[in-house]
Amino acid sequence: MKNVIEVKHLVKSYGSNRAIDDLSFNVKEGEILGLLGPNGSGKTTTMNSILSLLKFDDGEIRIFGKEMSPSAYDIKAKIGVVFQEVAVFDELTVYGNIDYFCGLYIQDKETRARYVNDALNLVGLKENKSQYPKQLSGGLLRRLNIACGIAHKPKLIFLDEPTVAVDPQSRNNILEGIKKLRDDGATIIYTTHYMEEVEILCDRVIILDHGKIIASGTNDELKALAKIEEKVTIEVAELSPNQLSGFDDIKNVSSVEYEDGVLKVVYNKGKNNLAEMVEYLQSHKIKYSKIFAERPTLNDVFLELTGKELRD
Amino acid sequence: MTVSKAFWKIVLKNIGTIITYTIILIVFGSLNMSSDSTTQFEADKPSIVIFNHDEERGITKGFIKYLSENAEIKDEYEDDDKLKDALFYENVVAVVDIPKDFSQELALNKNPELKLRSSSGYAAEVAKVLVRQYMSTAKSYASLNLSEDDLAKKVESTLSDSTEIEIKSKVDTSKYSRATRYFSFANYSILACVITVICLIMSSFNRVEIRKRNLVGSIELKRMNGILLRNSCLYSAMMWIVYVVLGFIVVGLNEMWSIHGLLYAVNSLIFCVCATTIAYLISSIVKGIGAVNGIMNVIALGSSFLCGAFVPAEYLPDSVLTFAHILPSFYFIDTNNKIMAIEDYGSSSLLPIFINMAVIVGFCIVFIIASNIITHKKERLA
Repeated sequence: MKNVIEVKHLVKSYGSNRAIDDLSFNVKEGEILGLLGPNGSGKTTTMNSILSLLKFDDGEIRIFGKEMSPSAYDIKAKIGVVFQEVAVFDELTVYGNIDYFCGLYIQDKETRARYVNDALNLVGLKENKSQYPKQLSGGLLRRLNIACGIAHKPKLIFLDEPTVAVDPQSRNNILEGIKKLRDDGATIIYTTHYMEEVEILCDRVIILDHGKIIASGTNDELKALAKIEEKVTIEVAELSPNQLSGFDDIKNVSSVEYEDGVLKVVYNKGKNNLAEMVEYLQSHKIKYSKIFAERPTLNDVFLELTGKELRD
Repeated sequence: MTVSKAFWKIVLKNIGTIITYTIILIVFGSLNMSSDSTTQFEADKPSIVIFNHDEERGITKGFIKYLSENAEIKDEYEDDDKLKDALFYENVVAVVDIPKDFSQELALNKNPELKLRSSSGYAAEVAKVLVRQYMSTAKSYASLNLSEDDLAKKVESTLSDSTEIEIKSKVDTSKYSRATRYFSFANYSILACVITVICLIMSSFNRVEIRKRNLVGSIELKRMNGILLRNSCLYSAMMWIVYVVLGFIVVGLNEMWSIHGLLYAVNSLIFCVCATTIAYLISSIVKGIGAVNGIMNVIALGSSFLCGAFVPAEYLPDSVLTFAHILPSFYFIDTNNKIMAIEDYGSSSLLPIFINMAVIVGFCIVFIIASNIITHKKERLA
């Protein structure tokens, strides 16, 4: 598959603060690339640089094989952007808004009308097409925001946290819509803080921190980077201090936590950990009501890589 | 096409604002015209009470007749307490006591004492002037040893003299005072309608989120700005046509269907263009839609008060008018006043008008340059 976006040695500074530090990556045609990172990691700056909304200090950005610039209108015609902030006209109806933004790309009236209706169907706003943005709920407004960005059927779509402050039903609708866009052949760059969305949607993930790529790969490749093997959670009614300290001696156990009748055991590596745990519980006559094991999630990997300290 | 369509949809969403300011122009503009000053004058007649202790003959008779012609004589006050109250409340502004033998003594040049009580204020001063005027005229003839009747006739003849005033102006400037007041008042409505609507539209298009979306769109930014500017000018032109047509209805066809009317229309067209450039400058500075109404009120109301749209400029202090010179509204209203005063259509009459119009065009250029500089800086987010 050919590269739709090629970013080479991108550098962008705000004064002495280097927001993007020698960033290089490619986005392949038809894939959904997840761009992850804590606040201030450089996700939005990277996106704005690719879109030529920001002047960058050094590096090269090519989209569809051509150098991207503010006046590259032939490239822009193939791009759709859904910004994090809702960008719609309060004075126009749902249909009017989608028609306006679609009209920035599609001049033919009939084609545009068809595209606008397709977008309305995709985000499930057909019933609301005559309403004004102020009459819509937060979730519907987000869906309108997405429709405005993708109505012209772009080949490359940037989605910047499109599901922030959206209820689960709307989020589900939005994620289904994004999958459909990919199925229709669009290449998508998706930034979010929700790891479960990345796991569901993205073919490949780049984790940024301090303007640098600290990890990239498929979901499984990233999970393989995790230091922990699995987490075992056991509901235990009673546990004496001696019994609790005994868990530390079990093979491959990394850490043990016991609080409010729930015991959490983290294994660093090894196989058959759960079976050995059950055997230990039985041999020490520890009564348990529920036991289950989890593989490390992307969230675990993310926190391991970027640290657990709070960011702005 | 898409941008134009969105522009006019937003205009339609603000149609209530446009109608409101147009109604304000019709209602208050008409009221302003009805308080028109004319060249016809009517003397004020003060209310006077006369107590005559003399016989009604000779000078006494003439004096009472003179006062009756030039003042309103009240005769319902017999009680002195009621008269004092009437003086206090200015129902009566002067009380004249004519002493016994007043006519005879005046004819004999004996200088009889006339008792005069008055309230304060303008009407009382008029009453005093009437009494003084009669007495001084009578006293100047008293030394001629005329009979009482002859003296009375002489005074009456002298006081009935009037001065002929000939207005040499070829044009009756009062004819155009209604049009001047209408178009001067339109200063407020033009500024309010043009600034509010264009600023609201530009604020919508300039919102950071919308602007980012437009910037990543496939329409060149310069082209989009050009479309917005053309539509803004078209909107202002439409408002101008509405106000000129209303001018024909409110002011009258006779006044408007003339070269004077044409000059008023041209002046207001230039001012509409200026209002458009002001709106562009404001929208390049102001970020939020919420601030637009506040700023519009400061500019429209402020300049209307300072430049004489609501109160004629001749009633405004010099310091205010000096300050007003920095505002385009001053030149717009001043031009309206100059158009009213035109006597002929020669270069000497028209030149000051065209200079004022050129000043307004100068303001337009300054506002466009300032707006472009600010917009250019904002063109890219970093």
